[in-house]
Amino acid sequence: MSKVTTLQEAAASIPDGSTVAIGGLSMNSAPMALVRELVRQQKKDLDLVAIVSGMAVDWLVVGGCVRRVLAGLVSFEGLGLAPNFRAAVQSGQVAIEEYSEHLLICRLQAQSYNLPFMPTKAGLGTDVLGLHAESGAVREEKDGPTGEHYVACTRLPVDVALVHAHEADDRGNTRVNPKLVWMDNEIVNAATRTVASVERVVDNAAFTAEPERTTYPRFMIDTVAPAPMGAYPCSCFPDYGHDSGFFMEYSQAARDRETFTQFFQERVVGPETWEDFLAVNSVATGASA
Amino acid sequence: MSTPVPGYDCTMDELMVVTFSRAMANDTRAFNGAVSFIPVCGYLLARRTHAPELVWAASSIAVDADPDEIGDSTLSDSLWGGASMLSNSPFDFWSYAQGARYNTFAFRGAQMDAYGNVNNTVIGPYDAPKVRLPGGGGMADLGAMIPRIYLWSSTHDPRTFVDQLHFRSGIGWGDGGDHRERMGMPGGPQLCITNLCVFDFEPSSKRMRLASLHPGVTAGQVQEATGFDVIMPNGDIPTTAEPTAEELHILRTEVDPTSARLREF
Repeated sequence: MSKVTTLQEAAASIPDGSTVAIGGLSMNSAPMALVRELVRQQKKDLDLVAIVSGMAVDWLVVGGCVRRVLAGLVSFEGLGLAPNFRAAVQSGQVAIEEYSEHLLICRLQAQSYNLPFMPTKAGLGTDVLGLHAESGAVREEKDGPTGEHYVACTRLPVDVALVHAHEADDRGNTRVNPKLVWMDNEIVNAATRTVASVERVVDNAAFTAEPERTTYPRFMIDTVAPAPMGAYPCSCFPDYGHDSGFFMEYSQAARDRETFTQFFQERVVGPETWEDFLAVNSVATGASA
Repeated sequence: MSTPVPGYDCTMDELMVVTFSRAMANDTRAFNGAVSFIPVCGYLLARRTHAPELVWAASSIAVDADPDEIGDSTLSDSLWGGASMLSNSPFDFWSYAQGARYNTFAFRGAQMDAYGNVNNTVIGPYDAPKVRLPGGGGMADLGAMIPRIYLWSSTHDPRTFVDQLHFRSGIGWGDGGDHRERMGMPGGPQLCITNLCVFDFEPSSKRMRLASLHPGVTAGQVQEATGFDVIMPNGDIPTTAEPTAEELHILRTEVDPTSARLREF
């Protein structure tokens, strides 16, 4: 049975209250087409796992979809803070569960390896650990035989991972081209279920011809949703870069609530289909072909 | 925008990059995180001048990258041109980092304290922050793993250099003294390069100590701009050395022709 479906149906399969992990690294390869569809479908009470993220978290937060953000870093990098994320955390509208990059990766690894915890030196001596004193989700421990200090990172269950990739076949074999899977394979391996948006669907023969290039085997990918330019305004290396102009216009609009509401409606959630969205933002499709 | 350095034929951003570059030894194996224009320029300049064997992984991914220019993000793929390897997943990266095969990392924060610990998480109380910042990202991790840590700041003022961080996102020398050693962490912060001066760290307390003053800046001005007591060295305080014409030429024409480094000013 084909795993290929639409963005709309892929997003519809994610219930309110899910723990959703968002792929990508900062401005690289975030699954923006799927994220936009979650916002359009007005999902509620999602717990987001976002290791190093920005625009994706900001859309979901301002869309009212988020209960809690588990993150190592949320920003627009040199282009500023993620404005709605910042405001929502400051006002207490959204809870944040604070991590560093590697603490979160290690929790995901403990989950995927089915181990009680993964040890790391990450976070030692910082205030991050104190925030988890009650839950013990990440906790400082000392190895008995060696006396070495480490942080034990406990399992982090994830209901669904959202990633963006270049190509998949209808069975779910998926590849990133070239095979760069920063921050993505952690969440795919940990999640109960993964939805991949892809630049294009290709024949299975493309995978069997070059099996060494496959990034995720079909049993790890549950749903494939075609979305050309599906990481926009983030990048999908090497097909297209991030659109700094969009980031700057977005941040500029966010200085005023009314201006932003209009911007978000017109430029992000208003357009009905992904193709409409790209047209409104003057993004040429086919650039990725 | 950056300002001219009195008496030197360069601007402050250039002086900071060159000072950073000169601190890089030939056996440097570095990588970089977000909004790290000064270090990225510094690594590229060092590799083109006195440290040809220096390893730099752009965005921590692209080993030996040699981009034509530096874009608006130091984490983005626009920085990966000319690389001899794209590390395809974080597994390799964290092995290189945790095993200290990578030996050099530079970070900055909205706040820094006397021990080179940094805050990039919140201003104000954690539970009711005045400003929610991006978060610690990798600095909480890498501060504990990497032996040669470098800090920099283009805003040397009492709001940035504070006695008490509002949150310790990344560890420098921790509580000072032998704290890192006791915790099994290698090395620690080496220098902090600012728009007023260069600090090193006094060997026993591990607190910031004035190492050199940029031209036209006095020790009193540095103390006034710093929210903790600055350790003064014995004897005269040197002036930060002037960049050579060659260093400036390479920086301006080859390393960073679009002046991306000014994004930090």
